[in-house]
Amino acid sequence: MASNPMEQFSVYKIGPEIKIGGIDLSFTNASLFMVISAVAISLFLYLGTKQKKIIPDKIQLISEMLYGFVAKMISDTAGSKAKPYFPFIFSLFMFVLLCNMIGMLPYAFTVTSHIIVTLIMALFIFIAVTIIGFLKHGFKYLNIFVPSGVPTILLPLITIIEIISYLSRPVSLSVRLFANMMAGHTMLKVFGGFVISLGLLGGWLPLSFSVALTGLEILVAFLQAYVFAILTCIYLNDALNLHH
Amino acid sequence: MTFKEDFKTRLKIAKSKIKKNSLPETEKRGFLMGNAFKLGTELIAAVLVGTIIGFILDGWFGTKPWLMIIFFFLGAAAGLLNVIRAANKMQKDN
Repeated sequence: MASNPMEQFSVYKIGPEIKIGGIDLSFTNASLFMVISAVAISLFLYLGTKQKKIIPDKIQLISEMLYGFVAKMISDTAGSKAKPYFPFIFSLFMFVLLCNMIGMLPYAFTVTSHIIVTLIMALFIFIAVTIIGFLKHGFKYLNIFVPSGVPTILLPLITIIEIISYLSRPVSLSVRLFANMMAGHTMLKVFGGFVISLGLLGGWLPLSFSVALTGLEILVAFLQAYVFAILTCIYLNDALNLHH
Repeated sequence: MTFKEDFKTRLKIAKSKIKKNSLPETEKRGFLMGNAFKLGTELIAAVLVGTIIGFILDGWFGTKPWLMIIFFFLGAAAGLLNVIRAANKMQKDN
């Protein structure tokens, strides 16, 4: 039994070592769980949309609910202009959600508890949104760094602050997801360890905490996926509709 | 009244009901919690980014540690700005 609460986050290779051009591309447990999430999403949505019944069965109902949920989120936060980006945000939401949820299963690996995974996703969003902004508005997009109604003396200062604020987006997006997932799973493991070490006599209290925390973690897993997706929508909204 | 008109009025009533309490209480609380989670990291991330920018600029200009200190405070200001914006947005939404 692993007593180190951080051991669950270790990445190890599965199968042979693959090296291409000095870059280690071996298949790891992290890759395995990403593949599992992607396959699970594809399979689930395929089964959910295959039959197209008027009175949906459970799996179709859930797929339609997810579709409606994300569609409403996009139209509420980013408006109708963001409709073409629905597939991207939907995939993003589903991937983060499934990675978080699969991580809640015993013996599973939580992909999103690694900052490199969340940072790559956040950086991709950040760069994509910046490119979209420049494509839609040209150099006028730089206006988001220059808020209107600011005295000229303060303008350079405010511009620097705005640029820092803009650059902090990928950091806050990735750190939020990673920190929440890692902290939650560490805490679960710590309380699990207490149950073992306190034994039959005193183990009941940490066990009840563990049960409560598991419920909380499932909520957090959903909420973080939701926050990740909704912030993407908000950033997209800033890029599509310039108003500051 | 024809069947169709009757259906239309019933639809209207149902729709207005949905609008009134669009989300059940527990679900609403969940979204509010999601909002709360957003704020903390918003502040820290900007401070972090500001300090790192200052550190890099210090390396370029050889002005250790002054730019880092200045950019730390600018980052803190940016973080506060982020939090205020996020909070304003939340207030508008609710």
